[in-house]
Amino acid sequence: MKRYFLAVLVTTLSAGCSSIEPVAAWERGYLAKDAMQWEAFPREGRFAGHVYTSKEASSGGSKAAGGGCGCN
Amino acid sequence: MAAIKKTSSRMTSQRVLTANSALTRRLGVAIASLPAYHNAQADAPPAFSEIGIRYSHYDEDALPESNLIFGSRNRYDIDVTQLWFETPVGGSWSVAMDLQNDSMSGASPWFVGTNLDGQPGVIMSGASIHDNRVEVGVTTRYFWADGNAGFNVSQSKEDDYEARSVSFDVAWNSDDNSRTWTASASSSNDTVQPVKENIPVFIDREDIDTQSTYFGVSQILSSTAIARIGLGYTISKGYLSDPYKLNDSRPDRHERFTLSGGYRHYFIEQRGALQVDYRYYHDDWGTNSHTAELAWHQEIKQHSLKPYIRYYRQSRADFFQSIADVSQPFFADDYRLSAYDATTIGLHGFYQLDDWRFEAQVERYTTSATGSISSFDKAPALVDFWRGTVGITWRFD
Repeated sequence: MKRYFLAVLVTTLSAGCSSIEPVAAWERGYLAKDAMQWEAFPREGRFAGHVYTSKEASSGGSKAAGGGCGCN
Repeated sequence: MAAIKKTSSRMTSQRVLTANSALTRRLGVAIASLPAYHNAQADAPPAFSEIGIRYSHYDEDALPESNLIFGSRNRYDIDVTQLWFETPVGGSWSVAMDLQNDSMSGASPWFVGTNLDGQPGVIMSGASIHDNRVEVGVTTRYFWADGNAGFNVSQSKEDDYEARSVSFDVAWNSDDNSRTWTASASSSNDTVQPVKENIPVFIDREDIDTQSTYFGVSQILSSTAIARIGLGYTISKGYLSDPYKLNDSRPDRHERFTLSGGYRHYFIEQRGALQVDYRYYHDDWGTNSHTAELAWHQEIKQHSLKPYIRYYRQSRADFFQSIADVSQPFFADDYRLSAYDATTIGLHGFYQLDDWRFEAQVERYTTSATGSISSFDKAPALVDFWRGTVGITWRFD
C-alpha cells in the first residue's frame, strides 16, 4: 500500500508540475492573503481535527499525528 | 516577511501589486521569496508577538429514545479553553506555548444489545461521567533563507489517560520559491488507566506507542492559485481497545495511510477564495474513508466570513458488528467503527480592529448510517453535535 501511494504522488507531481510557469515577484500579493493559506487559523484547525479524530475512525492527512486522548 | 504578509493581506483588490508600482519596487524582492507553504509560515520569525484565547462549547445530541435500552440519553458536553503565546526570539527563532483545557461531562455507550422489537439498542454508561483534560505544548521554530524547521513537545493528561509526544517538521523551498516540500514525524507514548466507577473495566494500566510521518509538496500554479498533495503513515502498537466498552477487543497493531490534496483559488473581482480539500484514508482494520471539504473565504474590508461544508464517508472495520460477536478473536460495537456518512455545515468569521482580532465560529455535524448496508451493521449510537467558538487575539511589538 505504501508503494501504491508513493507511485501516485510521484506520478502526479512529475506530470503536473513540470509545465507550470513561474509566478513573478509582483504577482504574489494574492497568495499571501489569509484566504489562500492552507490553515489561516492553526488553533481552530487543531481543535477541529481533534474533534473529528475522536468521533471518526479516520485521522491524519495534513501532518504527522500527535498524542491520543481517552475520548469516548 | 511576516510584516510584508500583514501588509499584503490588508491590500484591497484595487491596490494589488503591479509590475511597475512603487510598492512593488520596494517589496518585490521580498515577496518573490513568498514560498508555496503548507502553512502560513514565512522564512522569518513572526514580526510581532501574539497572545490569544479561545473558548469552545461542544454539545452532543441526546440519544433518540427509540435507540435506548437502558441508561441516560444525555451524551457528552465539553467546554474547551485554548490559550497561547507566540513570540520571535532573536533574528532566526520563534517560540510558541499552547495550553488547552477540556472539561467533559455526560454518558457514553457501554454496549449494544437487542430491544423488545429485536432491533439493536444502546445500553449507556449510566451516571454522568466527569473528566478534565489539560494539554500543554511548546514549539520552537528555526528559520533560514530557504525554509524553516520546528520542534514540538506536548503532554496531555486526564483522569484516565496520559499522552506524551514529540514532533519535528521541516519545510524547504525550490530555488524560485514556487514549490515547497514539507516533511514531519512524531512519536507518542500514551498510557490508559481507566477509572473504575460507573461500569466494570478489566484492565488496570496499558500503554500505546504511536509513530507517524507525513510528506507533502505544495506548488504555486498561478498568481491566484496554489495546490498541494501529501502522504501520511501512522502506526500504533499496544492496547487499542476501548476499556469503557463491554464488548470491545481490537488488534494490538493499527496501520493507517492517508493521501490528501488541497487547492486554493483567489477570485479578484469577488475578493474571496475557493478552498477545496480532500483526504483518502485506509487502514489495516478494513476501514476506508473519503473526506471532502469545500469553503468560500469572503473578505469584507479587513474582516472575513467563511461558510464551509465537509462531507465524510467511511466503511466499517472488519470486526465491527452492531451487536458484537464475542466468539470472534476481535469484535467491537463502537459506532465509530461502523459504516456511516457525516455532513458538517459551518460558518467562521473574524473581525479585525487594529491589533485585535475577534473570531467566532459555529458548526453542525450530522450522521447517518450508510444506506447500502443491512440493519445488522447499522450502529444505533451514531452521534450528532453542535460546536461553537469565540476567540480574541492580540498582536503587539
